[in-house]
Amino acid sequence: MTTYVYGIAHADHPLPEQQVLGVGDPPCPVRIVRSGELAAVVSDCPDGLRPKRRDLLAHQHVLTEMGGAGAVLPLRFGSLSTDDDAVRDALGEHATHYKTQLADLDGRVEFNVKAAHREEAVLRLVVDDEPEVRRLTEALQSAGGGSYPERVRLGELVANGVRAREVQDAHTIERTLAPLAEQSAPGPEGSGWLVNLSFLLPRTETAPFQEAAHRLAEEQPHLELLVNGPLPPYSFVRPAHSATDEETRERTPEGSGRG
Amino acid sequence: MTVVPAQQENGRGGGGSSGLYDVLELVLDRGLVIDAFVRVSLVGIEILKIDVRVVVASVDTYLRFAEACNRLDLESGPKKDPGLPDLVGEITESGARGKSKGALSGAAETFADAIGQGREAAGGRNGSSSSDGEEAPRRTRRTTSSRKKEES
Repeated sequence: MTTYVYGIAHADHPLPEQQVLGVGDPPCPVRIVRSGELAAVVSDCPDGLRPKRRDLLAHQHVLTEMGGAGAVLPLRFGSLSTDDDAVRDALGEHATHYKTQLADLDGRVEFNVKAAHREEAVLRLVVDDEPEVRRLTEALQSAGGGSYPERVRLGELVANGVRAREVQDAHTIERTLAPLAEQSAPGPEGSGWLVNLSFLLPRTETAPFQEAAHRLAEEQPHLELLVNGPLPPYSFVRPAHSATDEETRERTPEGSGRG
Repeated sequence: MTVVPAQQENGRGGGGSSGLYDVLELVLDRGLVIDAFVRVSLVGIEILKIDVRVVVASVDTYLRFAEACNRLDLESGPKKDPGLPDLVGEITESGARGKSKGALSGAAETFADAIGQGREAAGGRNGSSSSDGEEAPRRTRRTTSSRKKEES
């Protein structure tokens, strides 16, 4: 029987009173597999599991439910083990590393922040800030659109202005929010947002962060700001390497750091 | 692509379906990977869409920007509410992408479509190895590098 693994917790991590349901259709009930001081949050894995919307949600749901009762290290979606015994072996293999991580992430949640430009609003800023762009825009409007070279020239100037704004706004967002978080880590690259950053916060102290994000959105109406959280700390777990756990701990993962 | 209103804050930890799109990449691309476990094949995953909103340096983009500027009401000044429906209707020529994207994503759409086709082709070639799990992130990186190339 293949075992689906959601996360890793302390051995005494309680199962919620109400049955938590995991991946599959019908959903497989979530259970705990213990080894020493650690526990894995698992369920049976249905045959032919695919990354369907339903199952992705289930993964997220299980981690959220279980995370409410104490630290859980979230595994990436779709982690499968041949059986429960193999899960126990895996827990034992890097037990020190997992225990360190559980201590580090205890009571912590992740907030993910994404930002994009509101097209028209940012064009207005560029037109207002750059006299040459404004002059060309006025000239083209009064000429009923302007010639091809004129339009290309204006468009290029605008594109440069928008790009400069992207850099500037990304900096502003990070500078505003990072001091309110314990750590930050970049989201997956190239998703098309001018900012995609995750922040690690104490679960009980997220209000100042959320308020700051809210103020930022109000003060910068040309930004479309998406704040998602609290989330399981997906971006702040570190893999165990074959090197000793201590060495692993010394190595800071990409992009993380305080303030 | 789901257009999520700005400032959406999911107080229940993303357990609901709203905002799922925005955290999907984290569920699929972040989180602990344990060597002893295998990963379920992500072949054919359709739920990840690439929403390229970066400014691509091309004549096509320039022309679209110029067109968007041509439609700006310069008299209204910067304070005018950018969310006014009549303006949005004009700017959002490609329609389906949502009000905040407008001409910019219109320009990017062709780009994204081309990548999407690439993905399908690649998906067809790939077997069911676990390396397919990296497919979507790898492709999104490609869009970034394209952009960097253009910029440099």
